[in-house]
Parts: sequence; C-alpha cells; structure tokens
Amino acid sequence: MVREQIASPTLGEYAVEDGRVLGAMRTVPRHLFVPPDLLKLAYADRPLPIGHGQTISQPFIVAAMTELLQVGPGDRILEIGTGSGYQAAVLAEIVGRVFTIEIVEPLAEDAEERLRRLGYDNVEVRWGDGYYGWEEKAPFQGIVVTAAASHIPPPLLEQLQPGARMVIPVGPPLQVQTLMLVEKRLDGSIVQRSLMPVRFVPFTRSE
Amino acid sequence: MRPGRERLALHLAILLLSAVGIAYEIALMRVLSVAQWHHFAYMIISIAMLGFAASGTAVALLRDRLEGKERQLLAAGALLLTASLVACYALSQRVPFETFRLATEPAQLRYLLALYLILAVPFFLVSWCIMLGFLLEPRRIGRIYFLNMLGSGLGAAGIVALLFRVDPADVPYVLTLPAALAFVLAALGQPRLWLAGLALPAGLLLLTGRQPVRLSEYKGLSYALQLPDARVVAVETSPLAVVTAVASSAIRETPGQLSGYPMRELGALPEQVGLYFDGGAVSVVSRFDGSLEPFAFLDFVTGALPYRLVERPKVAVVGAGGGIEVLSALRHGAEHVTAIEVDPSVFHLMRTELREFSGGLYERGDVTPVHAEGRRFLEAQEDGAFDLIQVALLDSFNASAAGVHALSESYLYTTEALQLYLRKLSPAGVLSITRWLKTPPRDAIKLFATMVEAAERSGIDDPGRHLAFIRSWNTATLILSRSPLTDSQLAAVRSFGEERGFDVSYLPGIGPEEVNRFTVLEQPLYYEAAQRLLSKERSDLFGEYAFNVRPATDDRPYFSRFFLWRSLPRFIAASRGGWFNFVEWGYVALVATITQAALAGLFIVLLPLLIFSRGEHGTQRGGVMLYFAALGFAYMFLEIAFIQRFMLFLAYPVYAVSVVLTAFLVFSGVGSYVADRRLRAAQSAGARRLVRGAVLLIAALGVLYILLLPPAFRAAADWSDAARVASSLLLLAPLAFLMGIPFPVGLQLTSNARPSLVPWAWGLNGAASVLGATLATLTAIHIGFRAVVLFALGFYAMAALALARLTPATTSARERADGVYAP
Repeated sequence: MVREQIASPTLGEYAVEDGRVLGAMRTVPRHLFVPPDLLKLAYADRPLPIGHGQTISQPFIVAAMTELLQVGPGDRILEIGTGSGYQAAVLAEIVGRVFTIEIVEPLAEDAEERLRRLGYDNVEVRWGDGYYGWEEKAPFQGIVVTAAASHIPPPLLEQLQPGARMVIPVGPPLQVQTLMLVEKRLDGSIVQRSLMPVRFVPFTRSE
Repeated sequence: MRPGRERLALHLAILLLSAVGIAYEIALMRVLSVAQWHHFAYMIISIAMLGFAASGTAVALLRDRLEGKERQLLAAGALLLTASLVACYALSQRVPFETFRLATEPAQLRYLLALYLILAVPFFLVSWCIMLGFLLEPRRIGRIYFLNMLGSGLGAAGIVALLFRVDPADVPYVLTLPAALAFVLAALGQPRLWLAGLALPAGLLLLTGRQPVRLSEYKGLSYALQLPDARVVAVETSPLAVVTAVASSAIRETPGQLSGYPMRELGALPEQVGLYFDGGAVSVVSRFDGSLEPFAFLDFVTGALPYRLVERPKVAVVGAGGGIEVLSALRHGAEHVTAIEVDPSVFHLMRTELREFSGGLYERGDVTPVHAEGRRFLEAQEDGAFDLIQVALLDSFNASAAGVHALSESYLYTTEALQLYLRKLSPAGVLSITRWLKTPPRDAIKLFATMVEAAERSGIDDPGRHLAFIRSWNTATLILSRSPLTDSQLAAVRSFGEERGFDVSYLPGIGPEEVNRFTVLEQPLYYEAAQRLLSKERSDLFGEYAFNVRPATDDRPYFSRFFLWRSLPRFIAASRGGWFNFVEWGYVALVATITQAALAGLFIVLLPLLIFSRGEHGTQRGGVMLYFAALGFAYMFLEIAFIQRFMLFLAYPVYAVSVVLTAFLVFSGVGSYVADRRLRAAQSAGARRLVRGAVLLIAALGVLYILLLPPAFRAAADWSDAARVASSLLLLAPLAFLMGIPFPVGLQLTSNARPSLVPWAWGLNGAASVLGATLATLTAIHIGFRAVVLFALGFYAMAALALARLTPATTSARERADGVYAP
C-alpha cells in the first residue's frame, strides 16, 4: 500500500496544510475501510462505494473537511453518517472524542466493529436517526454531516458550540463534492461558505 | 391445412409479434427508468437496434441455409421469443449494474455489456420472425411491412393502456401470452408435436417466478427503504411513473434550507410520507389535521418570499404533488389555491390510502385540485386569473421516459411558458419559481435569463424593475412581477432576506456589498450574472459562460442541459480528472448511445455484410445502402420532431409518445399497404414516381406543419383531451401515410432485383433509425426542432436521389416480363 499517496492531499489550487491532519491521513489504514474487492484503489484519491448507496469519501475531501473544522485535542466532534468509519478514525487521531451516528444498521455495526478492532476507543458509534443529533453529548466543537438532506437539521445547529464549525459535503454520490462550511458565530448567527475543492470560475474573461 | 388459412395465421402472427416487440421495448424503458434513471431509455433503443441489426445480418448471411425452412424457423423464433421475454428480463435484473460505479469499478463495464447482450435477444427474435415473413412472401413485402407497422402501432397504444394497470416489472409476463399465441399461429401446419414446445416458456416462467425490478442503491427510494422504521404504504402505477409511498419517522423533506428555524419554539416538522416517482424524485405528503400551525417552517424557506409581496392571493401551484406548496399557500393566508398536478397517481393516493393522513387537503373548499399539465391548464384560464403562480420545486420529473425519447425536455421553464404565466397574472401578481442550486452556478442564472427575455417579449420595457432573486445555500427563488416592484415590495424582499439569512442576489438598485453575506460565495457570481443579463452584455455572457445559460424555448425545451462542449478543456484543466462532475449524465448517456449505435451499426451490419458478400452486386449495394440509411434517418427525425411538437399540445408526454407513435406506425402501415396495391400494376419506373411523389408531398406537409402547428395549437387551447387526440391523429395521418410509402417500395424493388439484399436493407434501415432517433434528439438540443424537421426533409431528398440506383438496368428483364409485382 502506498499510504504516502494521500499524505499530501491537494486538488487544483487547494492544498491541505495542517500538519496534524496530514499526520492522521498518514496514520489511518484506509485499506481496512474499503471493500475487499476495491483494495487496489484504497489509496487512490477518489471516492469508493461501500454498499447501501453510501461511499467512503475521497481522501482529499476527508482531509479538507477535517482541516476546515479547525479542531484539536480535547474537542468533541459529532459526525452524522458514519459510513465505513474512516472519517471518524481520521478525526479520532486529532480530537478528544468523536460521536458518530449511522442510520443504516449494517453499516453502523461494521464501522463500530472495525473501529474497536483498530483501537479507536475515543469513537462512539450509534445506530439511529442523526436528525436530532446527540443532545447528551452536546455542545460540539465541530460537526460533520455526510448525509445528504434538503436542509441542515436545526437541532444540529443548536448543538454546535458558538464559534465552532460544521462541514457538509454536497454533491452526487461518487463524485467530487462541494463543501459547505457553516460557521456559528459567537453571537449565535450563522454564516455559510460554499467551497469548491476545484478552483473553477465559469466566466472566461480575465478580470 | 389450406394455404389461405395458413397465410392468414402467418399474418396474424407477424401482427402479434410486432406488437409484442414494441410493447416490450417501452416496458423495458420503464423498467430501466425505475432501476436506474430515465436517460437509460436511450440504451433500450440502442439495444433493440442491436437485436434488429444482428438478426438482419444473420438472415443475410444464412439465407441459403434457411431456404425451404422459413416457416419452421419463424415458428421456432416465436417460441424462443415467448421464452425469452421473461427469461431475459429476469436475468437482466440479476446483473448488479450501477451507473455511478462505472468510473470506479471495471466490472461495471462488463455488467453493462451483459445487459446489452441479454436484453438484445428478444429484439433479435422479433426481427428474425419478421424477416422470415419477408422471405416467405417475397412478393408481398408491402403486406408484411404493413402488418409489422400496424402491429407496432397497436402495441404502442396497447402498452400505454396496460401500464395504467400493470407494474412495468410484470409486463414481460403479460406479453408472454400474445407471444405464445403468435407461436401457435406460426406453428399451424406443422406437426402437432410442435405445440409441446410451449413447455419451454412455461417451465422458464415457473423457474424464474416474479422478478422485481432491481433498484439502484443510489436512488431515493433505496435510501428511504433503509430508514429504520420505513414501510411502503402504497404503490400506484401509471404510464407516467410508478409512485411508491413510503412512511418513516426519518423522512423530512423541505423545499430547501430551513434558515434560522427555531425548532424548539415552533416545533418539529410534521410527519411525512414520501412519494417516490420511479424510485427517484420525491414529493412529500404531510400529516395534516386542518391546523396550519405545524407548517410554520414553510416560512423559513426561500420559496416563502412571494407571500411577502402579495396579500391573500389567489394562487396556482404548478406541480403540486404531495401538497407542501399548497400547505405553504394556505399557511400564508392564500384566498384560494389551484393545485395542478400531472401525475394521476398523486391525487388518487391522496383520495384513498393517504386521505386520512393528508387530512383531505385536496378536498377543502379553498383548494381546487386539477389533474392536468400545468401549461395546458393555464392556457385555458382567463388572463389575470391569479395573483401568484408558483412553479413547485420539481425535479425534472419527466414522464416521457415512458415513451420513446425525451431526455429532459420541460415546457414549464421555456420563455414561452413564462410569457404565459405572466399573462395569467393579475396586475399586481407575481410569478415565483424556486430551483435547487448547483455549484458552479447555472440553474438560477438560466432562469433569470429566461425571466428577462420573457418579460421583454411580453412588452415590459424595463425587466430589471420586475425581478427579485434570493438564495439560501441550496435553493434560489426568483420573482417576476407583472407590474414594477413597488418600494414597499422592495423593502419586503430586503427584510425577508435579512430576517431569514437569505442573500438577495438581485433587486432593482442593489449593490455588490449587499449580495454575499449569509452564504458566502468565492465570487458573487449570481449578482454579476444578473447585472450582465440586464445590460447590453447579455449575449457576451451567453458566449463566455462555461455552461449553457441561454433561455430554453419551446423549440429547444431543454432547460436542464447546461453542458457545453467548448468548456470541456477547461473542466479537464480545472479539475484534474474530475471533469465528469461538470457534465450531465443524461447528455453523456445520449452521446454514448450514439457512439454505441454507430459502432454496432458498423460492426454488426456493415462489416459482416461487406466481408461476406464481397464482389456481389457492387454498385447496387451502394444505392441500397444510401437509400435505406437515408430513409431510416428521415423517418426517425420526423417522428422525434413530431413527438416533441405534440407533447405541448397533448399535454402529457406519454400521450404524445403514444399518439404520435401509433399514428406514425398505423398510417405508415396503411401507406405501405396502398403502395403495395398500386405497385401490383406498376413498372419500376412507376414505383420510382410513386416514391418521388410521396417525398415531395412529405416535404410540402413538413414545411406547412412547421409554420402552422404552433398557432393552430394555441387556437385549440380549450379543446378537450378527446378532441386533441382525434385532431392529432387527423393531422398526422396524411404525413404518416406518405412516409409509409418509400420504405416498402424500395424493399420490393430490392427484393425483385436482388432478394439477398433484403435482410441487409432491413438491418441497415434499423441501424439508421436508431442512430437517427438519438441524433435527432441531439440536433433538437443544439439547434431546435424546426432544424430536425428540415434535416429530415434533406434525408428524404437524399433517398429520392438514391432511388435510381436501387434497380440496375441489367435486372429489368424480369421486370419487363412481370412488372414489378407478379401477382
């Protein structure tokens, strides 16, 4: 396995530079999170299917989302949509505790078993509906929502600590996604940023 | 058995087999729309063509060995077809093909190929039987062709009727009956023992059992069914779509981002049932007990903006579906709501299984449900009838997948449609359209451009004063008002944006500092685009923008087509391999189908025939090739163009497909029958005159229809469905009749001169038809439907020129002795 391939995630002009994120990307054995028949592609910079219509995001997106959260040791992170558990593992390398909710039962079971086997005892997996977040563990210093939805569940915004950030990848399955960055300012107001991982301006003229 | 009865049985068998062939094709299109996405309809067309072309090649190559055994082989073909209808369908549903995985899993290409080969078998067999029919009656080519067309026409009409009652997944099973009957008819005159062959399909049926459609794991319904407490409440089927109603506490769909919704104070969202159309697009039905309190959240989406601009409005909701926009209107104090919905299953469900749940929403005094296509209904209303027309957040839900071809044309978002909406608004009324946003921006920019042009064409001098545009992170709502927006309305837009955290991207007099505050984009592209669209730079923007944001028109009704070839190098350069994020799958499928059809035509029809029949009838082959290929293109170009034209008139895409297809097939069949009779007395010179006359008349009618159909349709705005269908059939009859003449006449001339070229001509025409169908759509997307008709006329002219080369002078000895037809 060429784990180094994903150790310097860049795409277009956007590069992940946070040393802790890069270290986590290097440490987490991604090949243990992908389906066996796709092992060869484990370290390719692309999303892969994991069944149930879900995917393991491409390494760049995982790294970028982790960096955008701006979190560190001692922080508590909520993740909606555990999937394979890869994002949770990367976060677990950096933060204090990760709480992750998966609605598809077999995925939740597999991810929990996998994370336990790999020794991530600072990750807690729950099978269920993530819409209402995980109120007992709130507030969170960062939230990742990988489940596509028509709206950001209001309870998640409530459970986000003022000053903290939420990241939501948006886009069709198995394609490069746009990242929505939601910032809850200290006064409780919300600002969103739409970030293209791909530097692309649709006007031709140079201004 | 007497030869007369045997012949009648054969003719009936051909009729039935043709009907089964087209019905199976349409049913498979529906199956694939459910299993994957509707643009796979194209794939079925090219699969059918693959089967047709392959059997043309097979018969051409095996011709000597078939001689004397045609009847038995035809019966055998019908028997195998009977068995293959279910077997191939069931097998295809076990292939784990997933579109989205094509880029990651090499195995997916093999699955796709397997689907092609499996599903091509029944079409191979249908075509095999028809060609053997030609060989059995070489002097009645026109008659066999007539039966083939008539059967196909009846099949096209029949399948639409069938799909009202039967799930597409069950159609292969139902079609086994007519196929078996065709076999029995074809086997008449053979030893009785033949009938024992029916054990084969019967055995296979028992073996496979009912095979449900294999739903892609990436479709909305698949996701919904994985929710912890999901249960299917009801399934309704119509030719438009299979609607599956799913209940789960985890279904919470809203028309866009709920911005700043204080859930603790105003409560959680009401319970919902999701209606999944063909397993994909979803429309929700909300639990409703008459109280509008629980629907407070509907004031926290961008789509609530128009209710800040009009008071106690009379509202028309286009695409009402499960009624969330209707509830929003009621919640916002609408005086009356007209809920227009094209899919009959929705109202039926709301009246039956979901009646109690939905609280009889569509039975209230202040709500009028209208089962109709939006434009068609509005056209018939008085001008100024509504204070607010709202086009619901429809996914390009498009029923035309039920029929032949209709990628994603939508007549709700064309410039002409917006002009119509404006006419139906009261003087203070507003039009409101909400769209999901894509990154990089395209939908909302195209919609803004369309609004600007519609306003201009409606005589509004300064469209900028009539427009407003707000956005959340995932939706945009655009407003076009009949009168200039007043100062208080402008203030209302601003305060709505401010209160809810929505960015105002355009409003008369807005500055760049106001437009990018809540959902911050790297560059305020919406604002910049809006400014340019309202200035003299509009056409520069269309020319420079990386996506196609030119307004859609009725001539080119492809609102959802944004991809531009010229941008491909930029996409590739910008995204390092991720370029496919910028292209649309439907469009890719279309181009892929054209490539596939062209390759299949080359490798399955042209090459084998060129290699194996080297040296035979050299010059004549060129003529045959040109003639039948040109006819294939011409016929399909006209058929596709008229399906599109009539879609607007007949309101329901599926009716348009069915009526136009039936009219074309049946009346072309009649044309071929009449030509057949005329030919009996004619020399080949007479036959050529007949074809040239037909081509001239087709050209004249084609041009006449381009000019006269749009005004004629407008004049018939308030006609009933029955009157529309009848007048459509009448309008299409003469054209289709004439279009039925050139093919069988050419085939007869070929059959007389060089019978061995007949299967080749058949296969070639099949290949050209499929390529023609897809090319016609591509032409319509890029140049428009008028151009499609003109191209068709050009192809007819080519065919007329190639006609002279169909019968070489050396073969005319027989003609001189017998006439073209020796009865």
